[in-house]
Amino acid sequence: MKIRFWGVRGSCATPGGRYLRYGGNTTAIEVRSDSGHRILIDLGTGVTELAKELMAAEFGQGKGVLPVLLTHTHVDHIQGLPFFTPLFIRGNSIRIMGRELAGVSLKEVLQDQLNGHYSPLYGLENLAAGLEVQTLKTGASWPAEGFEVKTELAPHGSTSVVACRITADGKSVVIMTDVEHAPEGISPELTELARDCDLLVHDAMFSDSEYAQRAGWGHSSVGSAIAVAESVGARRLALFHHSPDSSDEHLDMIVGQATESSSVAVFAAQEGHDVDI
Amino acid sequence: MHLTFWGVRGSYPVPGAATVRYGGHTSCVELRSESGGCLVIDAGTGLRGLGQKLAQEARDPGGTTYNLILSHVHWDHIQGLPFFEPAYIGDTKIVVHAPRAAAKELRLVIGGITRHEFFPVALDAVPADFEFQEVTPGKAFDIDEFTVLPIGLNHPFGAVGYRVDADGSSMAYVSDTAPFDRMLHKQHFTAGVEEPNSDDLAILSEMRANLVQSLRRVDTVIYDTHFTKGEYEQFTHWGHSTPDHALEICHEAGVRQLVLYHHAPAHDDDAMDKIAEQYGVRGKRMAIAVCVAREAMTLTMGEATNPGFGV
Repeated sequence: MKIRFWGVRGSCATPGGRYLRYGGNTTAIEVRSDSGHRILIDLGTGVTELAKELMAAEFGQGKGVLPVLLTHTHVDHIQGLPFFTPLFIRGNSIRIMGRELAGVSLKEVLQDQLNGHYSPLYGLENLAAGLEVQTLKTGASWPAEGFEVKTELAPHGSTSVVACRITADGKSVVIMTDVEHAPEGISPELTELARDCDLLVHDAMFSDSEYAQRAGWGHSSVGSAIAVAESVGARRLALFHHSPDSSDEHLDMIVGQATESSSVAVFAAQEGHDVDI
Repeated sequence: MHLTFWGVRGSYPVPGAATVRYGGHTSCVELRSESGGCLVIDAGTGLRGLGQKLAQEARDPGGTTYNLILSHVHWDHIQGLPFFEPAYIGDTKIVVHAPRAAAKELRLVIGGITRHEFFPVALDAVPADFEFQEVTPGKAFDIDEFTVLPIGLNHPFGAVGYRVDADGSSMAYVSDTAPFDRMLHKQHFTAGVEEPNSDDLAILSEMRANLVQSLRRVDTVIYDTHFTKGEYEQFTHWGHSTPDHALEICHEAGVRQLVLYHHAPAHDDDAMDKIAEQYGVRGKRMAIAVCVAREAMTLTMGEATNPGFGV
């Protein structure tokens, strides 16, 4: 199993020369099994780059199949959707999975993202590929051919997001982004989800000193990401969802400090990089 | 009057090595009068950086009012708003001027991008006070020393451009718009070009005449030139123009400086260099100085020779 980070940035995309090495696109992670199956986590601006690769292959002929798991619908996790060109090719089968929301369906939220005020697409029904939106219960397995996908709810400020464990080829990656655990630490359910994973991709939006000013925002510090990785017995930790204020130099410094303090091998997620699991 | 580009890109932000020189942020322009008055045009991702600068400037006085004029509310023109730092400073007023299109209330549409499914902090919950003012094409209004004239444009769901006059100089912001011949953009999805009927053609013709009239002898015009000629033929129904369309309108209006703007995400720095060179030459033949908008570029309105226009 391999993963590729297509977008690693949180909140807002960061173009410019200060963000070239780690990348400026908002969140999108592709997971590929050795058998060639693929699952995509989130639809930030990073998917516009993935789209180019997909369109050059079977998605350009309308023969692509792609399950997408949405951690949640904050804009930095869905803003690539209207520009994800495989959606404009008839025949592609693209299925978005997300959790049930209170009071409004996932489909309604995405529909509103594309409404005529905000988008010339005027709605999901105008995407030629046809888009299946599926709401599923967390705590249960989610269907994606070639993978075993387990999910749990994780706390994100006043709301919650989907954390997932994706297993294939005898390896597991756990993705826990946009999460701020309770002060007493990670919940038993999330601990169980992440236990002994080969790679933990964890929200680390802020350095420990930055976090002091931002407790309650729904994001983690580097220190808390390390604590989670150590407590669940992860083999490696990828710091993820970098702050738009973190330049390449700043992230180098964060990684340096993290490497010193962490007993788990740690790196910062970089756009365009493949990671063998 | 001076202007600075904070975002020059259309559709969505484009980070990466291929856009470092021209910039990857979506639409946002800062206007400054000689006395320091500020007017912001559009709230794409470029607004985040501008907001950080404005918030730093504002630390002492408090009680600051910011005016934003929006061309329309497609994502690429409003997605920076939730990241506008002054919105998180108390005793701040933010007045957003925008066309209402089919919306019942501007507050609901623009505030709608901060509903809890999209963003953690609702617009109504931030410390700053937001006020929304509807603009109408042809009805000029004053914001402090700026006189602002909204101009109807041809874009899906509707958009307006703006002519702004201050300190005896002038600029115009014409984005987003299609040209005014092939189709009239309305408020429904179009999978391809819709042939205009005679009513549509009359509306287009009037819209075009109004635009030319409004731009007459404006010092500097910023124009939506999202497409190259070839791309336009392929995506005629998308609601954007080419540099040729912009030159044609500017020529008729007697405009002497044209800034190409709202670059397509696929146009990397090398592509923009070629466009700059090609249209620099073409503009010169029409006695119009042409330059390509770059992030962080500052221009002075009413200057006969602007360092930005260097071809």
